[in-house]
Amino acid sequence: MIRLLRNALLGLGLLGGLACGLLSPEKSFPNPHPSTLGMGQPVCTDCHEEGLKEGSSMLYSSFNHSPAFARDHKLPANRDSATCATCHPQSFCADCHTGKGVVSPALKLADRPDRISPHRGGYMTLHRIDGKMDPTSCYKCHGRSNNQTCIACHR
Amino acid sequence: MKSCNFLLLPVAFLSLHAWGQEVSFNSSTLLQYWRQGTPGFETSTYSPATQFLEVDATGLGQEAISFHFYGWGRSDLAEQTRVTGKNTSDMVYGYVSYRAPKGNLEAQVGRIAVNQGVAIEQVDGGTFLADLIGGFTFSAFAGVPVHYRIFDESVQHDYEYQRDLIAGGRLGKRFDRFAELGLSFVQDGTYPGKKLNGYNTYDFTRRQMAVDIRVTPNTLLNMSGRTVFDIADRMDLPADTQANNARVAEHDYNLALRLNPQLGASLTYTERNFRAFYSGTTLPSLFNPQEPGTFRSQGVAFFIGAPTSRFQGVVDLKKTHRDSYGDSLRYGGELRGSVAPANLKYGVGLHRVNADAANYSGIVATFYGLAHTELQGWVTYEKDRMTAAFNAIHHHFDDPANPSLYGKGSLSEIVGALGYQATPDLKVSCDVIRGVSSLMQAETLFVMRADYHFGWARKEGVK
Ligand code: HEC
Ligand code: HEC
Ligand code: HEC
Ligand code: HEC
Ligand code: HEC
Repeated sequence: MIRLLRNALLGLGLLGGLACGLLSPEKSFPNPHPSTLGMGQPVCTDCHEEGLKEGSSMLYSSFNHSPAFARDHKLPANRDSATCATCHPQSFCADCHTGKGVVSPALKLADRPDRISPHRGGYMTLHRIDGKMDPTSCYKCHGRSNNQTCIACHR
Repeated sequence: MKSCNFLLLPVAFLSLHAWGQEVSFNSSTLLQYWRQGTPGFETSTYSPATQFLEVDATGLGQEAISFHFYGWGRSDLAEQTRVTGKNTSDMVYGYVSYRAPKGNLEAQVGRIAVNQGVAIEQVDGGTFLADLIGGFTFSAFAGVPVHYRIFDESVQHDYEYQRDLIAGGRLGKRFDRFAELGLSFVQDGTYPGKKLNGYNTYDFTRRQMAVDIRVTPNTLLNMSGRTVFDIADRMDLPADTQANNARVAEHDYNLALRLNPQLGASLTYTERNFRAFYSGTTLPSLFNPQEPGTFRSQGVAFFIGAPTSRFQGVVDLKKTHRDSYGDSLRYGGELRGSVAPANLKYGVGLHRVNADAANYSGIVATFYGLAHTELQGWVTYEKDRMTAAFNAIHHHFDDPANPSLYGKGSLSEIVGALGYQATPDLKVSCDVIRGVSSLMQAETLFVMRADYHFGWARKEGVK
C-alpha cells in the first residue's frame, strides 16, 4: 500500500519533471486576479477583450457569469481550472462540491437567493420526486461522498 | 497510513511561523436552532453549531509557495441531528502549493480537492497541473481517497483492495482560437474487477476514460461535452439480471448559440448507463449499479438579455427518461432584474413538471402522480451596512396521494435574512426559515451567522 502510494507519487513527480521540460513559456496567470470585483456575478468582457485573441484559446465572453454560465459551469470547470483558480479559492467550490457534507448549500446560501444552489426549499420531501425522475444528477455530489445524511434513511 | 499526510500540516504551520508574512483567516460560524414535533412523540429541540475555518498563507519563504486549509467542525448543543454522532469534523483540504511563474504550473501536496476530467475527488496525495508547449495542457493526481467507505462493507469482503489508491489525469490540446480536445483517466483501487475472486453482488471497480471536446469557431457558437467510457476489466452480468453491460458511462453534450446580443440558446443531451456510470459508488442501495437500463435527457434553454442588461430571462424545457421509472417534462421560466440606484435585485420563476406516475414500492398495481408546479420569488437589498434578503418557494402537487406528502397538497418555504457588516472584516446575520420537516410538519428554523476575516494578507479571490 505505502509502496504503491510512493510509486504513484514518484510517477507523478517523474511526469512532472518531464512536463517541466515541455513547459509553456507563457506567464502564469496572476493569483489572485489582479482586479478586485464588486459583489455579484462578474462580466469578464467589461474589462477583457470580447473576441478571441491571437495566440490564445481564451474566449472571455464564454466566462461571463451569466445565468447560462452558472447552469453549465461544469464544462469550463473541468477544462479551465487554472482560470477559475485566479478568483475562486477551492473553498468556494467545496461548499457545494464537498466530500463530507455538513450544511446544505441552500442553508449556507439562505441569505443569497440570487445565487444558484443544487436544491432549495423543503428538500427532504421534494428530493423523493426529483430523485425518482433523475438520480444520476445527484450521483455527482452524493454518490461517492457526502452521503452521511442520506444513510439515515437509505442503507 | 492516512496520518502520514497529516504530518505535512505541522511542517507547514512551522514554516508559517518562520516566515509568517501573508496569512489570512476566514472564519464562518453558523448556529442553527429548531424544534421538531413528530406526531405521537415529544417535541425535540435541535441546535447544531458549525464552525468553518479557511487559512491561506502565501509567500512561505518563497513567493511561489503557499499553504491552504479549509475545514469545519460541528457540535450538537441540544439533541443529536446526525446518525454519525453529536460531534463531527472534517478537513476539506490542507495542502502546500508550488506555483511556477510560467506555464500555469502548479503542484500541490497534502489533502487536496481534485477536479480533473472525470474525477471530482478528495484525496490525500498530490496533484500536478501545467500548460505545455504546442497548446497542450496536462494534469495528474494520485493518492488515497478520503471518503470511500460504504455503509455495509460486508457485501464486499475485498473492499479495501478496491479503494486503496486513486489516480488519474487529463491531457488536453488547445487548437488556437478554435477548439480543445481532452483525454482523461481515473482508476480507483489496485485490483481491477476480474482479479477479485468470483462474482460480486456489488462490483465497485472504477476505471474510466473520457474524451472531452470544445469547439468555438467564433463567438456565436460554443459546442462542448464529453463521453466517459467504463474500461474496467469486468465480468458481464448474467443476462437475467437485466442490468446494462454498456461500456459508455456517460454522454454529456452542450451546444450554446448566441443568436444576437440579447438572445442566447443552449441545447443539452445527456445519456447515462447506470452500471458504468455508478461504478465506484459508496451508496449502492441508492445509486444501484445493477439498475437496468439507462437514463437520458434532452434540454433546451433560451437566455434573454445581455450580461449587462437590467433584465435577464431564462425559458427552459427539459425532458428526462429513466427506463425503470418513466418520463418527466420540466418547463418554465425565470426573470431576474435589478434597480441599480436602490441596490435592489429581484427574481421570479415559474416551472411546471409533468411526470409519469410512480408505483408504491412493493405494491405493483398502485400508482401515485409526481406532477407539480413550482413558484419562486426573491428580493435582495443593500443599504449602507445592512443587507436584507427574502425568498419564497411554493410547490403545488397534483396528487396528494403521494406518500411523501403525508396527505398535504402543497409545500412552501419562506426565508428572511438580515445582515449587518459591523466592520470591514466582520459580518453578522440572522435568518429565519419557515418550512416543513421530512414528515411535512410545519417547522421554523433560526440561523445566526458570523463571518470573520483576519490576517495580514489581502483577501484571496471571492467568497
Ligand atoms: C473589473 C475589471 C475585470 C473584470 C470584470 C475581469 N477581469 Fe480579468 N483581469 C483584469 C485585469 C486588470 C487583469 C490584469 C491584466 C494584465 O495583467 O494584463 C486581469 C487578468 C486576468 C487573467 C490573467 C491573464 C491575463 O490575461 O492577464 C485572467 C485569466 C482573467 N483576468 C480572467 C477573467 C475572467 C474569466 C473574468 C470573468 C469571470 C474576468 N477576468 C473579469 C480585470 C478584470
Ligand atoms: C475574474 C474572477 C472570476 C473568475 C476567473 C471566475 N469566477 Fe466564478 N465567480 C466570480 C464572482 C465574483 C462570483 C460571484 C460570487 C458571489 O456573488 O458571491 C462568481 C460566482 C461563481 C459561481 C456561482 C454562480 C451563481 O450564480 O451562484 C460559480 C458556479 C462559479 N463562479 C464558477 C466559476 C468557474 C467554474 C470558473 C472557471 C471556469 C470561474 N467561476 C471563474 C468570479 C470569478
Ligand atoms: C452553489 C453551488 C455550486 C458552487 C459554488 C459550485 N458548483 Fe459546481 N455544480 C453545482 C451543481 C448544481 C452542479 C450540477 C449541474 C449539472 O448537473 O449540470 C455542478 C456541477 C459541477 C461539475 C460537474 C460534475 C460532474 O461530475 O460532471 C463540476 C466539474 C463542477 N461543478 C465544478 C465546480 C467548480 C470548479 C466550482 C468552483 C469554481 C464549482 N463547481 C462551484 C453547484 C455548484
Ligand atoms: C452540486 C452538488 C449537489 C448536487 C448535484 C445535489 N446535492 Fe444534495 N446536497 C449537497 C450538499 C453539499 C448537501 C449538504 C449535505 C449534508 O447536509 O450532509 C446536500 C444535501 C441534500 C439533502 C439533505 C437536505 C437538507 O435539507 O438537509 C438531500 C435530501 C439531498 N441533498 C438530495 C439530493 C438529491 C435527490 C439530488 C439530485 C436530484 C441532489 N441532492 C443533488 C450537494 C448536492
Ligand atoms: C428522512 C429520510 C430520508 C433521508 C435523510 C434521505 N432520503 Fe432520499 N428518499 C427517502 C424516501 C422516503 C424516498 C422515496 C423512496 C421511494 O419512493 O421508493 C427517497 C427517495 C430518494 C431517491 C429516489 C430513489 C429512486 O431510485 O427512485 C433518491 C435519488 C434519494 N432519495 C436521494 C437521497 C440523498 C442523496 C440523500 C442524502 C443527501 C437522501 N436521499 C436522504 C427518504 C430519505
